[in-house]
Amino acid sequence: MSNAKLISGISLLSLLLIIAITGPEISKAMFPNVNPLEQGAYRQYEPPSIQHPLGTDAGGLDAFALLLNSIWPSMLIGLLAGVIATILGVIVGFTAGYIGKNVDTALRIFTDMVLVFPVLPLFLILGTYLAHWDLFKLSLLLGVFGWPFTARVIRAQVLSLRERPYIDLVKLSGENTFEIIFLELLPGLLPYVGFSLAMGTVGAMFTEAGLQLIGLGAQNLSTLGAMIGHGFSRGVISLGMYGQIVAPVGILILLFLSLYLIDMGLEEVFNPRLRTKIDVK
Amino acid sequence: MEVLLGNLSRMQVARIGTEQIVAYYRQLFGLDRPFYIQYLLFFRNVFLRGLDFGPSFMAYPDTARELIFHQLPWTLGLFTSAMLISWLLGTVVGVFMGWLRRHKLTTLVTGMMVLLQATPNYLFGLLLIIYVGYKLQWLPAYGPYDSGLPPAFTWVFIHSLLLHMVLPMLSLVLVLGAGWAISMRSLMISVLGEDYLLYAKARGLMPFAILKDYAFRNAMLPQLAALAITLGTTLTGTYIIEVIFHVPGLGSLFILALGFRDYNVLQGIVIFSIFAVLTASLIIDLILPLLDPRIRGFNE
Repeated sequence: MSNAKLISGISLLSLLLIIAITGPEISKAMFPNVNPLEQGAYRQYEPPSIQHPLGTDAGGLDAFALLLNSIWPSMLIGLLAGVIATILGVIVGFTAGYIGKNVDTALRIFTDMVLVFPVLPLFLILGTYLAHWDLFKLSLLLGVFGWPFTARVIRAQVLSLRERPYIDLVKLSGENTFEIIFLELLPGLLPYVGFSLAMGTVGAMFTEAGLQLIGLGAQNLSTLGAMIGHGFSRGVISLGMYGQIVAPVGILILLFLSLYLIDMGLEEVFNPRLRTKIDVK
Repeated sequence: MEVLLGNLSRMQVARIGTEQIVAYYRQLFGLDRPFYIQYLLFFRNVFLRGLDFGPSFMAYPDTARELIFHQLPWTLGLFTSAMLISWLLGTVVGVFMGWLRRHKLTTLVTGMMVLLQATPNYLFGLLLIIYVGYKLQWLPAYGPYDSGLPPAFTWVFIHSLLLHMVLPMLSLVLVLGAGWAISMRSLMISVLGEDYLLYAKARGLMPFAILKDYAFRNAMLPQLAALAITLGTTLTGTYIIEVIFHVPGLGSLFILALGFRDYNVLQGIVIFSIFAVLTASLIIDLILPLLDPRIRGFNE
C-alpha cells in the first residue's frame, strides 16, 4: 500500500504507543530510590534541572515521571471509548441498513436525536459527578455518546452493499443470513470500521482532555488532560514552568495528529478520488 | 437533568438557613412539587410564556433568562464571528490548495493545515496563552477587557476589548479555518476529477474561468451545507475557550451554574444550544436552493 498518510499516521501512533507502554519503566529507572509520583516526593514547584527535566508540580511530584505515566491512561480511555462507540455504531448502522423499512426509519430518527444532543453540556453536568469515577466507567460513558456518526457511515455502506449482485448470488448459493453478514458484508466494511474507530478515539480523548482542562474531569485519573488541567489551575504558567503544560499538550497534539492521518489515509483508500495522483491537467 | 440534579437547592439553602427558610424557598421556586410536574411546568413557561426559564437559584431575584441574555452576546459574538471568518479564510485557502495541489509549497501548507486541524482548539488556545500572553507579553490573555475599565462606548474601552479578544479569536479561527481548508481541498479535488472540467478545458476556457465558474461553484455547495451544521452543533465548542480565557459567555455561566446546581439556568442554556442547531439548519435549508438549482422545486 503506497499511502503516505496512512503509513506516517500508523508509524507515529506506534511510536507514541511504545513511549506510553515503556513510560512507567523509564520513570522507574530514572528515579530508582523514591516513587516520583507520590505526594510530596520532592519540594513543590522546583524549576527544571537535570534531575527533574520538567521540574516538580504543585504536589511535589516529578513532572517528567508524571508525563511518562500519563500517556497510557489517556490512550486507553480514547481506545476503549472508541471501541465501544464503534461496536454500538456498527450494530445500529448494520441493523438499520440490513433490515431496512420501519426499523431503519426508527433507528435513523434515534441516531439523529443522539447526534444533535449537546454532548459537552451533558458531560459537564455528569462531570460534577465523575469525580470518583474510574477509567472504565468514564470510557463507557464517552463511548455511549460517540456512536451516531459511525452508525450513519455504516448504514449508508450496508444499504449500497446489500443491493450488489454478488449478495444475490450468495443468497442463491444457500448461505444463511449469519454467513452473509459475517463473511460477505462485514469484510467490505473494514476500512469504514477502522475510520470510525479512529474518529471515536479522537472524539473521546477530545472530550476527556477538555473536561480536565476546566477542572471537571475525573479527579483520580492521571491522564495527559489532568496534568494540563492541574498545571493550568495551580499557576504553573505564571511561575514560568511552561514545560509542564507544553509537553503534555505536545504529546496530545501528536496523538490527535496520528489518528487524523490514519483517518485521512483510510478515506483515500475507500474514496480514490481524494488521491492527488489522479489528475486532469 | 431534573433527575440528576434533584432537589439540590435544599442543600444550598440549608447552609444558611433553618428548615422554615428552606420550606419557603422550596415553595417559591416550585421545588415542593413532584419532579415531573416541575419539568412540565418548566416547558410550559419556556414555550408559552416567552422563554421564561424561571428564577435563578444562585442570583435570585434575577431570573435565569436575564442571566442568559446578559452573557449570550459574548458567546454569539465570539463564536459567530470566529465561525464566519474561519469559513471564509479556510474556503479561499482550500480552493487554492485543491487547484494547485501538485505544487511543492502546497504540500507544505497542507501538512501545516493537517497539524492545525488535528489540534483541539482549547489546547491551541492554551499554547497561545503561554507563548503570546505570558512569554512574549504581546497580548492580554485574561478576561474580556481591562478589569479597571467601566464598559462604555469609549475608544479606550473598545481598544481594550479588541485586544483581549485577539487570542480567543485566533485559537478558534486558526483551528476551525484549517478544518475548512482541508475539507474544501477534498471537495475541489473531487470536482476536479469530473468529466465536465476536462470538457471545459478542451473548449479552451481560461484556467481562472474554469476555477471560478466550474470547479468552485460546484465544490462550494457541500461546504456551505457543512457550515450550517457546524454553526449549530459546535456552539458548545467555544465553552472551554471561554473558560480558559475568562470570557463571560454562556460556557462560563454554565460552569458557574453547575457549581450552584442552578438548573433553571442550565436547562435554559441547553435549550438555547438546541435552538441554535435547529435555527442554523432551517436557515441553510432556505438558502441552499438559491445557490443550487438542482434542489429547487421539489414537485416531481
